[in-house]
Amino acid sequence: MKYLDLAMNAANSLGAEYADIRIQKTTDQVIYLQNLSLKHTNTEVLYGYGIRVFKDGAWGFAHSNVFSDEAVLATVQKAFEIAQLSASVNKNKKLRLAPERSYIATVKTPIQIDPFEVPLNEKIDLMMEVNRTIMAYEGIRQAVFYLILHKDEKLFGSTLGTRLDLTSLFIDPMIIATAVHEGDSQSRTFDEGGRAIGWEWILELDLIDKAKQIAQEALIKVKADTLGPEERRSLILDPNHLGLTMHESVGHPTELDRVLGWEADYAGISFATPEKLKNYRYGSEIINFVGDNTLPQGLATHGFDDDGVPGQKWHIIKDGILNEYGSTRDTAMEIGLGYSRGCNRATYYFDQPINRIPNLYLLPGTKPLTPGELIADTEDGVYIQGRGSFSIDQHRVNFQFGGDFFWEIKNGKLHRPLKKVLYKSCNPEFWNSCDAICDERFWRPFGVVNCGKGQPPQSARMTHGSAPARFRNIRVGGSQ
Amino acid sequence: MNSEKILQYIRQHCNADDWALYISYWDSHETRFAQNGITQHIAGPKLDITLNVSYGTKSGSATVNQDDENTLAFMLKTAQDIAAHAPEDPEFMPSAEKADLPEVNNCDPETKNLEPIQMVDIVQKAIDKAKAFGASVSGMTEKHYHNSWMFTKNGFAGNSERTNFGHSMTIKKAEVETKVDYEAKNFGGFDLDRDFAQLQAQAEALADLHVFEPQKIAVIMRPSALLELMWFMGWMMNRRQSDEGFTPFTDQLGKPFFGDKFSWFSTLKQPGLLARPYDYEGIPSKEIAWVENGMIKNMPTNRYWAKKVNGTPCSSYNIFIPGGNASEEEMMQMVPRGLILNRLWYIRTVDAKSGELTGMTRDGVLYFENGKVKHAVNNLRFNEIPHDATRRILALGASRLASASSMLPTMLIDNFNFVDKTSF
Repeated sequence: MKYLDLAMNAANSLGAEYADIRIQKTTDQVIYLQNLSLKHTNTEVLYGYGIRVFKDGAWGFAHSNVFSDEAVLATVQKAFEIAQLSASVNKNKKLRLAPERSYIATVKTPIQIDPFEVPLNEKIDLMMEVNRTIMAYEGIRQAVFYLILHKDEKLFGSTLGTRLDLTSLFIDPMIIATAVHEGDSQSRTFDEGGRAIGWEWILELDLIDKAKQIAQEALIKVKADTLGPEERRSLILDPNHLGLTMHESVGHPTELDRVLGWEADYAGISFATPEKLKNYRYGSEIINFVGDNTLPQGLATHGFDDDGVPGQKWHIIKDGILNEYGSTRDTAMEIGLGYSRGCNRATYYFDQPINRIPNLYLLPGTKPLTPGELIADTEDGVYIQGRGSFSIDQHRVNFQFGGDFFWEIKNGKLHRPLKKVLYKSCNPEFWNSCDAICDERFWRPFGVVNCGKGQPPQSARMTHGSAPARFRNIRVGGSQ
Repeated sequence: MNSEKILQYIRQHCNADDWALYISYWDSHETRFAQNGITQHIAGPKLDITLNVSYGTKSGSATVNQDDENTLAFMLKTAQDIAAHAPEDPEFMPSAEKADLPEVNNCDPETKNLEPIQMVDIVQKAIDKAKAFGASVSGMTEKHYHNSWMFTKNGFAGNSERTNFGHSMTIKKAEVETKVDYEAKNFGGFDLDRDFAQLQAQAEALADLHVFEPQKIAVIMRPSALLELMWFMGWMMNRRQSDEGFTPFTDQLGKPFFGDKFSWFSTLKQPGLLARPYDYEGIPSKEIAWVENGMIKNMPTNRYWAKKVNGTPCSSYNIFIPGGNASEEEMMQMVPRGLILNRLWYIRTVDAKSGELTGMTRDGVLYFENGKVKHAVNNLRFNEIPHDATRRILALGASRLASASSMLPTMLIDNFNFVDKTSF
């Protein structure tokens, strides 16, 4: 805590209107196993601090990896000077910060078994067994197991008097089986996208069973038919798949910095502009999206964001209507919101925090409905599991998605497996075409750990979730 | 930071059979602006030290970002512990041996010494120009100095020093959005007046927007658009992945697979082009043809796979696509109608085996007919197989720098496959 006080006192002395310091140690353990060969086993520890100074309506941010009084003071000075330079440009465009109170808190991701304490040979033994299980299937040419353990330890102090001690952690196991058959090659992936939880999750997952499943399904997929020409069909999308669809078509368009045009040069802007708040029909009446940075095991559940704003839960889309954005202290004031939703997050100590998607999920249907009943109620359609190709325009309107595993539905039954299926849609057509969502028994969370955004680019994480849902009259067909 | 001191520490204390040490130091200044104001402003140095160690064929690695002895001891112990617990690696390769490295010139002192006030001045002038044009501008002005070293127990010693300056601008005026960017190893080639004039010309050309339906149509693909496709094609063109049956290039080495107007090199001979002297495995950069007149001559091959298939290890370190001499005006005369593409966006692999990609146009699409630009059109989605598209190249313009590490021509490609349109 010594450096927190030193830096904040120095910032106050220089005349900062606001300042904060984030001392952050990030530990990553990455193990990449391919066909029983360890391609990469690395533990990385990045430790340093970033200091933000807000002066005359502008930010300055400086970072350092040197821990000494002199280095901290020099970094404050640098951040202050940069803020002054920024302010010289922002004379007629001053930023403002939403009011916030001070907090003193300690928050840690609840875990039972610390994954970093699990012996490496235990992890590798499990991964080798999973690799061997996949390779045992004739026709499988490649087995990959990619494991990431990630921990952020942060001390945060601000000139508001906030002092935070935050530790967040996640695990992300990904397994891929690739089959080759008659000139084609197709993969099937087990990927829950990461979860903020201890090693107990890995023990519960039964990865050997998952390995058998994806190996078998990769072999089915490589021999499967393609769908043929594009037609309007029904789609049933599983929660894992929908996690990515909502990330791209709801999560990013409702980041307030994009709405304001702050990402215009790189990641893009948003069609969901402020005049649409509270009146724009984004989806059908059963569509309710909630931003929730308090979600247990959520990847964006850190207690507080990097503005020192506590995690919150709010409706982003309510009964199909655009309700609110994910915001930060500086973006919120641009639309007169007067408070931040706590979505400002940085990746490493050397990154200036930016407006990020919160944990964002689709609420389940309120009437009892199982996936089996949903399929039985569908005449002609495609059921998509898992994530595949995804692409969306820079306003977040037009998109095309693939998937990882596909079944054609005919007369209420899974008729035949398919490969290379694509669907095309756009906002607001897609979410308005949703006519059924399974109930809360089938709601599942899925994580995204590599959400790229910003200049310089940063990679953020958040959790999405849904129950299986049906979308009517969507353009679905096979790739070339 | 003292690379020699770090190296001495590892030499004295590492008891592994083999090791490779990587040190990277950056000093960056990044000014990000949007809608005529600065939104982010970042400065500071970064350090990365990675040690790979091996006992027999068992390997492990660790990375830290501080160079004091306690941290180096932590890195060494962590890497050695990982290696001790790792299984034997059937694909293990010893670290690189001493190699003759090419002389490169990637570092520009003027760029390295660029002051923050100079960068903010560029931003201020860009905003002033945008306001005078009745528009808003968003972008980033950045400079980077990067110095890296690689040492191995087997005698490899390499150093690579480079600078980079970038300035991008996206302008928005009414419904028109378009972008230009400059990215090179030297600041000296940057000319704000030139770039803004180009931006303004692009914006003016896009003012009259018409609805256009997706279809197969000829495109004049400018270098900034082509570059986006080349990244993906480069990732797919991997020797091992191809030999194992996962890419479209399986069994195509030495065969005419691309269109005969298409060649693709990595080169040390273009003075403006960034060229690192060696890669992460210690493979020295050298003149290499990946594709020559449509024939696949080489594919990036790591040291393990090269040994297995009795090939030569090689890796891509920049992109040079030789061009021709056709101007855009001449290209427009060669086909009855077509589109001019400024940039592509959000490209993703649809099917890795066939090489099919999807993506969108961005930052302006112009429709031409009978040799003349008629009007702008909405953005479009494509689903296309790039190597197949090279077989439909009708003409090439002169190659020019599209980024610090790529030099590409404008291409006229027939029957580019657009499959959807968006609302703007």
